[in-house]
Amino acid sequence: MRSFVKLFTAAALAASMLFTRVALAAPPGALQLPEFGSLADKAVQAVDITLDGALLNLASGFLDTKKPEDAAAKDVIRGLQGIYVRSYTFDKDFVYPQADVDLVRKQLGAPGWQKLVMTRDNREHSKVDIYVCVNGGRSCGLAIIASEPREFTIVNIVGSIDLQKLHTLEGKFGIPRMSLDEKK
Amino acid sequence: MSDDLEKRLRAALRPVDPGESFTRGVLERIGSEQAQPRWGTRRTRLRWVSAALAASILLAGVVAHQWQAQRTRRGLDARRQLLEALTVTSHKLDIAYRVVNDQDDNTTASDPDDRT
Repeated sequence: MRSFVKLFTAAALAASMLFTRVALAAPPGALQLPEFGSLADKAVQAVDITLDGALLNLASGFLDTKKPEDAAAKDVIRGLQGIYVRSYTFDKDFVYPQADVDLVRKQLGAPGWQKLVMTRDNREHSKVDIYVCVNGGRSCGLAIIASEPREFTIVNIVGSIDLQKLHTLEGKFGIPRMSLDEKK
Repeated sequence: MSDDLEKRLRAALRPVDPGESFTRGVLERIGSEQAQPRWGTRRTRLRWVSAALAASILLAGVVAHQWQAQRTRRGLDARRQLLEALTVTSHKLDIAYRVVNDQDDNTTASDPDDRT
């Protein structure tokens, strides 16, 4: 009887630990972004945005759907669990640690992540890599890593994202509309 | 003259027996005050309850207003951050589209057979 109680206690403990681990585990599509705190001091412009599901819900309640950009934003964030942006602009070339950017790139090699677009502009020395996370046939996240000599940006959108909706953001946030089809 | 004034004052301030009715009234009043409950009369209690209720409502109103103001502040801040995040995302996507377009144009230009 005593050994049964011990076994039962051990099993319950293991189950609770597993449950805690599962509950605390990051959802698929979420990246572990390094701390860029020291970079913020060096940067001439720093954007550090962390919007989890609760904050996205809160923000959604304050969007005015009569405004086109608010309506577009509301449409895009439906089904999202988080948006994380780290963007730094410097007044000198390549002062940001490449190792930190590589650390994020390494996470994108994990199963589930697929490279969607990889662009290299040799004139402006800019690189933009776009990855999408697919889980069970559905997109569960998006990652954009963009680097230029004096700027680097990491965007991580967690949740079921519709790329078509993201594409419709063009022309609504001060970005000129420019579609592949139009140019062809 | 001063003797006369003194006599008149003494006469006016001489001890006077208040009378039995006055004494009885005082004693009755003392008795009735002792008989009152600890928290006063019903009317007094009602006043206290009303004041406490009014103070509670006022306090709840102030707390609710502050909570709402804080929520609004956080909501507007989250909205601003969301629009900024989408602007950055949109900008980076635009760069990618532009580069892909340029590459596509170059490929088409260098390969005339593709135009047909």
